[in-house]
Amino acid sequence: MSLHSTRGRLGLAIGALGVSALVLSGCATSTGGDEGGAGGEIVVGTTDKITSLDPAGSYDNGSFAVMNQVYPFLLNSTYGTAEVTPDIAESAEFTSPTEYTVTLKPGLKFANGNDLTSSDVKFSFDRVVTINDPNGPASLLGNLDSVATPDDTTVVFTLKNGNDQIWPLILSSPAAPIVDEDVFSADSVTSDDDIVEGEPFAGQYTITSYKVNELIAYKPYDGYQGNLGAAENDGVSVKYYADASNLKLAVGNGDIDVAFRSLSATDVEDLSKNDKVKVVEGPGGETRYIVFNFNTMPFGATTAEADPAKAQAVRQAAASLVDREALASNVYKDTYSPLYSFVPQGMPGATEPLKELYGDGSGGPSVDKAKEILDAAGVQTPVALSLQYNGDHYGPSSGDEYAAVKAQLEEGGLFAVDLQQTEWVQYAKDRTADVYPAYQLGWFPDYSDADNYLSPFFLTENFLGNHYDNPEVNDLIVASQTETDSDKRMEMIGQIQDLVANDLSTLPLLQGKQVAVVGAGVEGTTLDASFKFRYAPLTK
Amino acid sequence: MAVDAVAPAVTPRRTSKGGGLWRYIVIRLLLIIPTVLILVTLVFFLMRLTGDPITAALGGRLPPDQLAERIAAAGYDQPLILQYLQYLGGVVRGDFGTTITDRRPVIEILLQYGSATLELAIYALIVAFVVSIPLGLIAAYRRDRWQDAVLRIMAILAYATPIFFVGLLLKLLFSVWLGWLPVSGRGSTRTELLMSGIDTPTGIYLLDAIRLGNGAAIGDVLWHAVLPAIALGLLTAGVFLRLVRTNVIGTLGQQYVTSGRSRGVGEMRLVTRHAFRPALIPIITVMGMQVAMLLAGAVLTETVFEWKGLGFMLAEYLKARDFVAVQGIVVMIAVIVAVTNFVVDIVAAAIDPRVRY
Repeated sequence: MSLHSTRGRLGLAIGALGVSALVLSGCATSTGGDEGGAGGEIVVGTTDKITSLDPAGSYDNGSFAVMNQVYPFLLNSTYGTAEVTPDIAESAEFTSPTEYTVTLKPGLKFANGNDLTSSDVKFSFDRVVTINDPNGPASLLGNLDSVATPDDTTVVFTLKNGNDQIWPLILSSPAAPIVDEDVFSADSVTSDDDIVEGEPFAGQYTITSYKVNELIAYKPYDGYQGNLGAAENDGVSVKYYADASNLKLAVGNGDIDVAFRSLSATDVEDLSKNDKVKVVEGPGGETRYIVFNFNTMPFGATTAEADPAKAQAVRQAAASLVDREALASNVYKDTYSPLYSFVPQGMPGATEPLKELYGDGSGGPSVDKAKEILDAAGVQTPVALSLQYNGDHYGPSSGDEYAAVKAQLEEGGLFAVDLQQTEWVQYAKDRTADVYPAYQLGWFPDYSDADNYLSPFFLTENFLGNHYDNPEVNDLIVASQTETDSDKRMEMIGQIQDLVANDLSTLPLLQGKQVAVVGAGVEGTTLDASFKFRYAPLTK
Repeated sequence: MAVDAVAPAVTPRRTSKGGGLWRYIVIRLLLIIPTVLILVTLVFFLMRLTGDPITAALGGRLPPDQLAERIAAAGYDQPLILQYLQYLGGVVRGDFGTTITDRRPVIEILLQYGSATLELAIYALIVAFVVSIPLGLIAAYRRDRWQDAVLRIMAILAYATPIFFVGLLLKLLFSVWLGWLPVSGRGSTRTELLMSGIDTPTGIYLLDAIRLGNGAAIGDVLWHAVLPAIALGLLTAGVFLRLVRTNVIGTLGQQYVTSGRSRGVGEMRLVTRHAFRPALIPIITVMGMQVAMLLAGAVLTETVFEWKGLGFMLAEYLKARDFVAVQGIVVMIAVIVAVTNFVVDIVAAAIDPRVRY
C-alpha cells in the first residue's frame, strides 16, 4: 500500500498546488516588480469559480487562488521557484522519521487583531480532517496522525508513515492554509460571509469586499510576516467571468489588467497580435493522455482473444502513430507542448523515454515502426479500437484533439478507430466500470512533485482502475516516497518512467502551459512551477 | 305550473364598478394558488426524472459510499412523494433549499439576482415601448405603403432572430469594432465595488446609484445597460409593433375617428389620441404574456452580456448540474409570470370593465 495512495483525487480538475522541495527549471516573470512601493490598483479577470473560502470545504483552482492571497502557510515558495521554504514558520524539519517540527515566527497576528499561535495551526489541520468534506482536501492529510503544540510557537506533526518526502509540500497545499480558531467552526464548513466578516486573514492581503464569483477586492495586509514580502501594488480587484470570450474582450479592450485562467488557445493566439497586451507563459503541470483498459482493450485480459503480448503491441503501435507536435500546434496553438513521459518536463526527475522508444525515435510519428511492432507480435490489421473522449470536462477543443488522434492512428490503415463522446457524469461512471477500452483523461497535480504523476496512476491500487499491475513499478513507487537521498530518489523516478514507458498503461500526449495575458504596462506577472498565481508582485 | 305565471324576479347582480372589480381581483388571486401549485409540482417531478440532485451534481466525482452518504443526508433516499411534500412545505415557508455546488440558500440567490433581472426587464420594456409604439403608429397610419412594409419586416426580424445572435451582433459592432459600449457586466469594476459597499442595497443598480447621488455611477450603470436592454427589448418590440399596428388600424376605421377628422381634428392627434388609446388595452393584456417571453429571453441575454441576474445564474447552475438551484429559480420564474399576469389582468379590468365579465 502506498504512503500516498489516499491523496490521488480521480485526476480531475484539482488545483495546481503545492510546491516542490526541489526547484523546477521553468518559470516566467515579466520584468519589473522588484522595487517596493505603490504599484497602482490592479484588476484581474478570471473564469475560475470559488466553491468556498474555507480551506476545509474546497479543493479547486478558484478557491485556492483566493486562499493563496489571504491565508498564510507554514511553508511556501517564493516568486519564481517551486522550492518550499518557511513562510510564517521560522524553521521546519524532520526531528524524527515520524515527527515534523515547525517553529512559528513570534508575534504573528491575523488582520482582525487575534494572535496567530500554534493553537491556530493545530486547529487548522484538525478541522480539515474532522470535517472531511467531500469537496475538501482532507485526502491530502492521509498520512497525518496527530498535531501537538508544546508551546505557542511550536507545532509537532506526527505522521503515520515515516520519512514522508511529500509532507513539506503538503504544508503549502490547499490542505494547509492557517486559519483563525476564533472565526472558523471546528466541525463544519464556515460560510464565506462569516469568514469575510471575521477577517481571519494573515497572508499578503485582506478582503475588503466580496461578492461570490462576481467581484473580490483585496487590500495589502501590512501584518504579513511571511517569506513573500509585502504586496507591491495598492490593491487588487478580481472580476469573475462566466465566458472566456468576455474575458478576452475585457483584457483586449483594457477593461482589466490581467486575464488568468482560462482563455482558449485561439483567444491567446488572437491576443498575441494585440499591441495593448502581452502574453506571459510559464510551466504548467497539466497533462492530457489516453488510458488503456487492460481488460477490455483489443487482446485485453477479458476479451475473447486475450493476449498480453498482442495487447502491449497495440499500445506501443498507438504510441508510434500519435503526432504530439501536430496536436500541440494545430489544435492548441502551442498553448500545450508535446509530452513524452508520464512526468511533465520541468519537474525534477522527468525523463522522455517515449521519444526514443516509439515513432521515428525523435518524437515524431512513424507508420513503419508501428507496423513493425504489430507484425512482430502477430497482430492482424486494422486493429479495431474503440476510443472515448469527453468534451464538457476537458474543454471544447477535446473534439478537435481526438478527431486528430483518430486520424493519426488510422494513418497507414493499421487501426480502425471508433471514436465516441460521452457526457461527463456518465463518462466518469463508465470509465471505471470497464466500459471504455481506451479513453481520454487529464490531470492537474495535487502537489508539485513527480510522485503526483506516478503513484495515483501506476500503483496496483490506482485511481484509473484500468487493471494495470506491475509489482516492480509498484515497489519502486512506494520506495521512492520514503527515500531521503534526493539523487537516489530521482534515479528511482527515472526507472519507474522507463518501466511504464514499456508497459504503456497510459499514453501521454500533451503538457499544458500556464498562460496569462496582461496589459502592456503591467509588470511582475510570475508564473512558476509552484502553480500559484500571486497578485502581490503585479504593478502597473 | 301555469304557462303565464310570472317568473320570479331575478335579484339583480351587483354590477357597481367597485364591487365587480374587487370580486374579479379575489377570483384571479385565488386562481394563482392552483396555477403555482401545478407549476411547482411539474417542475419538481420533471427535475426528478433526471435522478436525485446530489448524483446529478457530484456523480462521478465522489466514491459511491460518499455519494450515498450525501444522498441520505439530504433526504433524497426517501420516497419521492415525501420529498415532494417536504419541498412544498419548504416553498410555503420561503425555504427553497440550499444549492449543492456553492452551499448558498436558494432564497438568497433569488433575492440577490432577482433584482438584477427585474432591472433588465424594466429597461427592456422601456426599449420595447419606445421602439414599438411610434413605429407601430406609423405603420398603421401608412398602412400598405412602403413604410408599413419595411416596419412589418423589421418587426418579424426583431422577434424571429435568436436573441443570443442579436446580442452577439450588438456586442461585436458596438463593443468590439466601434468600442463605444462595454462588453459585459452591470457596471465597471469601480461601480461594482461601490455597489457592494452599500448598506441594504436594493440590488437595482440604477436605484442604488441614485441613492448614492453618484452621477458617474448612474452614467456607468446606464451605459452598461444599453446593449442588454436593446437585445432583450427588441424581442418584445417586434411583437408590440405588430400589435399596435393591427389595433390602431382597427380603431382608425371607427366612426368616431372619421367624425373627429370631419371636425378638423389634426391627423397627429387623431392617431396618437383617438385611435391609439382604445388600442392600448389588448397591448396591456399581451404584455402579461410577454413577461414570460422576457424572462426566457433574459436567460440568453444575461448569459451573452454576463448580466448577473436570475437567467445568468440559471444557466450557470444548469452547467454545474445543480438541480436544487435550478428548481428554485424555475419555480420563482413561474411564480413571477403567474403574478405578473394577475397584475396585468387587474390593470386591464380597471381600464375596461368588459374584461371582468
